[in-house]
Amino acid sequence: MRSLTLLTALALATLASLVAVVGATAQEGKVVLTVGLTQDLDTPNVTAGELVSSYELFTLQYASPTDLAAEDFSTVPGLAESWEVSDDGLTVTYTLREGLRWSDDTPLTAEDIAYTINRARDEEWLNYTSTVANLSAEARDERTLVVTTKVPDPRLPGLPLYVVPKHIWEKVPADEVSNYPALDGVGSGPFTLAEWKKGQFWRMVANPNFWRGRVAIDEVVFRVFRNADAMVAALRSGEIDAAHNVPAAAFPDLENEEGIVAVQGEQGGFDYLVLNSYDGRPPRDTSKFDAPHPALTDLRFRQAIAHAIDKETLVERVLNGIGTPGTTMSPSANPAWIPELSEEETYDFDLDRARQILDEAGYVDSDGNGLREYEGEDIVLRYALRSESETSKPYAEFITGWLEQIGIGTRFSTYDDGQLLEVAGKGDFDLYVWGWTPFVDPDPMLSYFTCDQIAVDASDFTNYYNDAGFCDPTYDELYEQQNRELDPERRREIVHDMLRRFYASASYIVLATSPDLQAYRTDRFTGWVRQPAETGPVLFSNSSPSYWNLTPIEGADDGGDGLATGGIVAIVVAVVLAAALAGWIVLRRRTAEERE
Amino acid sequence: MLVLGVFVAAALAAPLLADEANLRAITADARDYPRWASPAELGPLGTDSLGRPIWDQLVYGSQVSLLVGIAATVIAIVIGTVVGVVGGFVGGWTDAALARLTEWFLVIPFLPLAIVLAAVLGPSLENIVLVIGITSWPVTARLIRSQVLSIKERLYVERSRALGASGAHIMGRHVLPSVMPLVIANATLTVPVAILSETALAFLGLGDPTRVSWGSMLEDSFSAGALGQEAWWWYLPPGLCVIAVVLSFTLVGRALEGILDPRLRDSHAVGR
Repeated sequence: MRSLTLLTALALATLASLVAVVGATAQEGKVVLTVGLTQDLDTPNVTAGELVSSYELFTLQYASPTDLAAEDFSTVPGLAESWEVSDDGLTVTYTLREGLRWSDDTPLTAEDIAYTINRARDEEWLNYTSTVANLSAEARDERTLVVTTKVPDPRLPGLPLYVVPKHIWEKVPADEVSNYPALDGVGSGPFTLAEWKKGQFWRMVANPNFWRGRVAIDEVVFRVFRNADAMVAALRSGEIDAAHNVPAAAFPDLENEEGIVAVQGEQGGFDYLVLNSYDGRPPRDTSKFDAPHPALTDLRFRQAIAHAIDKETLVERVLNGIGTPGTTMSPSANPAWIPELSEEETYDFDLDRARQILDEAGYVDSDGNGLREYEGEDIVLRYALRSESETSKPYAEFITGWLEQIGIGTRFSTYDDGQLLEVAGKGDFDLYVWGWTPFVDPDPMLSYFTCDQIAVDASDFTNYYNDAGFCDPTYDELYEQQNRELDPERRREIVHDMLRRFYASASYIVLATSPDLQAYRTDRFTGWVRQPAETGPVLFSNSSPSYWNLTPIEGADDGGDGLATGGIVAIVVAVVLAAALAGWIVLRRRTAEERE
Repeated sequence: MLVLGVFVAAALAAPLLADEANLRAITADARDYPRWASPAELGPLGTDSLGRPIWDQLVYGSQVSLLVGIAATVIAIVIGTVVGVVGGFVGGWTDAALARLTEWFLVIPFLPLAIVLAAVLGPSLENIVLVIGITSWPVTARLIRSQVLSIKERLYVERSRALGASGAHIMGRHVLPSVMPLVIANATLTVPVAILSETALAFLGLGDPTRVSWGSMLEDSFSAGALGQEAWWWYLPPGLCVIAVVLSFTLVGRALEGILDPRLRDSHAVGR
């Protein structure tokens, strides 16, 4: 009886895979673009998502009043077709395009935009604050939006903003905004979210009401790979059409492969080593958070660490030579915002200097075990590793090696990116290496390191940006100044000052500028756009113009086939398994009989 | 047996055979070792993506793999034997409770439990040993218990009891020595399982990140893309070493079992 039930179960499984194949064939005829990446969404909620993957979703789902030109990021019309700036520069009147609609056919009006700006400002939505903090908006009629700013704003009339649908979001109360699951899939961009399987993929379907007109692709599937090598193999075999975050080791080979274009996309992204230097100042309720190692709140201790990092070696050995050694934080996709550092300002790689600083500051190894002590205890820092990054462990190998040489111990814990966001918010770490990809205007990146952006919300540990816990009132003041400085030269100087201060604090050690390594196949789609032109990436750029520009190549086989083959393989495997199992059962019976 | 001897010797003599400093990425940089060097470029086994020589990792990796394998087995065998002997000998409620506990551990799928424990306890060598130890004792416990059940009915045990020996005395002097061969044979069979488990956990990134083991070498090579780079000298040696050690332990264990396990000996006798 037992064996019979087993066989029945197998038959059912076979049937199930058959059904799957039928399902897959039903998809044939659809034009599907499949993009591989190694990072899952943290949340599809546009007010709270922080990961690069989530930003790509937001860029696709929510159109912006003004857009960024593909070539050079200059401000071009988006949802708004034209605008007028008042003489004092404080008021901008936007005229929206005619007949705008959300993907669910509800009209998209100036009221939606005004609602987004005003509510985001009042409730301080994480991803909006930098843009809307000084703005207030009013919908004069369906197509006329008046935006007023309290202080002169160098970014206006550019208004890059993820406009949310009022009719959806007004149902979400203020205290639930950051936790809203946001699977509604209502948007105004080229694609809207249809399905998200955590850790596996998310699927977006074409929005028939996109203001540029419905795009030529029916669906984009973002497939999350646990292993970057598997992603490269999938790209080679044609299972996916493009890959983001190609490992540096595989990049040179892809560059030489026919039918594949490998892109080294520069847009200011960088890898950094963060030193948790939160010094316990209010308003954080320290009883609900973890504190950094007390030595890290000492500037001299951090400076010693900064002197112990050899960025050239990291670029050479960890990044495969692709990238440049870092200096200050890079706040923008445009490198002109990065200041030149003088030799005295620079923390050069010098282990003796590092040791000397530590000795002078009183961190000495009195028991001769190779580790310096803080108040009688060996200094061992908590170093967080990122399981989703293949450079995390190699970076750690070097960094902990140098730290050990200057007498600082480390202890590892491993997290995926979603977990690390929370762990870092809670302050339960001393060091880790992660990366940022800045926007075009430096303001958002700069705003992340103001005192306001330190995590204080114990009910949601992901509600922050300032992972270093860096807080410098002068920096905050300069931030306010650049935020209202209309003279571009003067603004650049202020920004340079801020970056120098931040660099000097040694809370953030920028290891290297890291280009986005991407690759795409040329056999199924044409029209890939680099943003900015010639140097930028093709996907995951600031406004990702590739998606609405791509067209399928006539006669190329469509994505449905891959799935069908998968189904056939599943059937074959199931049949073989069934046969093997049946054989095994029979054999077992026989031997059982023999035994008896 | 010979293979086993070679590996144990290599593990013990690691400092003579290899340079521990070479396990560190910064040494590889200081000594200017090339990255992704094939064995032909930098003998005997080439280097990994950071320039660390594979040979030194392999030799030091054998220490961790063997240490974890043996230490975890000791834990598993001690727990298993104690539970088995006490349960089998005392009987009644104690036995029932211990048997249920054993079954409970037996039905929990090993890998998920080990992963959860390793994640909760944190990645360190001691914890890995502990995790493997406390997840692999139930088989031993069941085996020992059944043997004890038969031994305690033997005449000499009855006699000893009639002479007024205490339960503890009988367990220590009569029962334990007679199950000892079984314990030893079982231990040799548990070691390869423990080594495989360590390799699996390390490969899943749950090993001790500060130490090189064969499992962590496989993990490193996998995440650095050695398969795509066709850097066979990186992933093949640790894989082959695991196979060799596991196979030789199993063969030795089987042989020991054949010699020492009374039941197997009996069945042979019947066969003849």
